[in-house]
Amino acid sequence: MKLIKLASISKKLCMGALGAFLLIFLPFHMGMNLCILRDDGGEWYRNVCHFMGTNYIVKVFEVVLLACVLFHIVLGIILAIENKMSRPVGYAVANKSKTHQGSKFMIWTGGILLVFLVIHFVDFYFAKTGLVTGKYVVKTEKVEKAFQEKAMKMQQGQLKEADLKELQAQYMAIQSLSGEKVAKNGKYFINLTKEELQQTCGKDFKDYEPDFYNMAKEKFHNNLFVVIYLLAFIALGIHLYHGVGSVFQTYGLNIEKYAKTIDILAVIYAIVIPLGFAIVPLKVLLTAM
Amino acid sequence: MDFTLKIWRQANAKAKGKFETYKITGISPDCSFLEMLDILNEQLINDNIAHPVVFDNDCREGICGMCGLYINGRPHGPDDGVTTCQLHMRKFHDGETITIEPWRAKAFPVIKDLVVDRSAFDKIIQEGGYISATTGGVPDANAIPIPKPKADEAMDAASCIGCGACVAACKNASAMLFVGAKVSQFALLPQGQPEAKRRVVRMIKKMDELGFGNCTNTYACEAECPKSIKKTNIARMNREFICSKTSYTDK
Ligand code: HEM
Ligand code: SF4
Ligand code: FES
Repeated sequence: MKLIKLASISKKLCMGALGAFLLIFLPFHMGMNLCILRDDGGEWYRNVCHFMGTNYIVKVFEVVLLACVLFHIVLGIILAIENKMSRPVGYAVANKSKTHQGSKFMIWTGGILLVFLVIHFVDFYFAKTGLVTGKYVVKTEKVEKAFQEKAMKMQQGQLKEADLKELQAQYMAIQSLSGEKVAKNGKYFINLTKEELQQTCGKDFKDYEPDFYNMAKEKFHNNLFVVIYLLAFIALGIHLYHGVGSVFQTYGLNIEKYAKTIDILAVIYAIVIPLGFAIVPLKVLLTAM
Repeated sequence: MDFTLKIWRQANAKAKGKFETYKITGISPDCSFLEMLDILNEQLINDNIAHPVVFDNDCREGICGMCGLYINGRPHGPDDGVTTCQLHMRKFHDGETITIEPWRAKAFPVIKDLVVDRSAFDKIIQEGGYISATTGGVPDANAIPIPKPKADEAMDAASCIGCGACVAACKNASAMLFVGAKVSQFALLPQGQPEAKRRVVRMIKKMDELGFGNCTNTYACEAECPKSIKKTNIARMNREFICSKTSYTDK
């Protein structure tokens, strides 16, 4: 009759632990996002993305985080089904009691977040893993190095006719990009399509990264996209408002002395975090960023 | 006052129930809810309309916890901190339609009309809602020192009357407030310590087996409890559970 043979409170404790990990993760994600606001042509933001994409500790955490999200969702759905099964015959007039706002909608706000996560992953995370193509950024010095290596080979007479053509095309491509697609600090070629990338660097060049700065800018100039994000952040706020207090209660820390403080903390967290996330798409949409 | 009553009628545990509508007129605002149902039943019998509506009740003074009725979407009706027997018709307005349903939970099957089987609570109590007592002479009162605030808190938890309103109110039909109160009343006192670690785990295991739902910290239970049992008792039970799971070795 129960879907998992684990004490109800144990399931809650798991749910709370997974949720709490996500609560700690969110401010970090938000902090990274806010780097995009600095008026430096994306330099800070690209550095952060580079760090997040290459650091090994971050990579370990990425796996842990994905597992947490997955288990949190699976367990949340299992709990919701079990709870429905606990009342096979419903009320005709139901639930007029005063309750904690938000608590009734956890599975629904969670569901909205799930839809959002799918969209968000397809657009950004899949680009990182190479499942979909986006825009790319590469260091100018790396492009030049790759070019020079090939030019060297040419001088030594190791290149065939076809390769020479490619080299020529590469040269042209680099020249034409240098005009427009270079970062403010001159260190990167930015906003490259897959074709441009291959034209400039050759087919087997690997040293590029997704240009999340320009991808975000492009996405957030689309009204529909921004609206979807903002709706998701509202759902997130409601989810968090109940979630924060809930973790304390579940872990038995909700003694009367702290109840007020915890409630205030939950409200602050549930406003600040979604607002912090919402600033980025809003700023991009509303200013000529 | 006049009312339209929509009442759940179900001949027995197996029968398929349905709502019947009855009109009732000339009810005094000072009439209690159960007295109003008495008047209805008198009319149903005298005018040969139907079998009387069966509902649980006993003390009619808010201490036995029998009179569980789900009234207009709330256990024990629209008043706060009272049982159905303490609810008065002045809390409704004249001409109102009142929907009366039995507690709904897998663990509380309907026996007849508005009466449900709450023996699930007794089974939870049997798992640990007791303390071991020494034999021999009667001990002196106050032989064991207990700080007043602790004693008060234990007393507050012990005021639970086992009515089941917490389960009825909860969207998950969870019994956490009841079990939380029963665990707390012992956990707070020295007399409850010998069995404390075993008690909490066993009572929760039983609660789960009986088909009560998982708590989602919705707190409808606290809002509807006629004895104002606080949700901090649930937090205390969770604490006791963690503590027991991490330090209790005896099976
Ligand atoms: C950024 C993402 C998310 C964060 C930070 C988050 C955080 C939390 C927290 C802190 C809790 C409270 C745990 C407790 O009761 O102790 C919670 C509960 C819950 N979450 Fe999430 N969550 C997220 C995403 C999701 C998603 C995508 C779903 C998908 C279905 C979901 C479903 C639920 C459900 C159903 C509960 C209620 C469980 C219960 O009360 O027993 N959450 N969440
Ligand atoms: S905790 Fe309150 S609502 Fe629940 S059984 Fe006890 S008295 Fe009734
Ligand atoms: S009849 Fe005893 S509490 Fe209502």
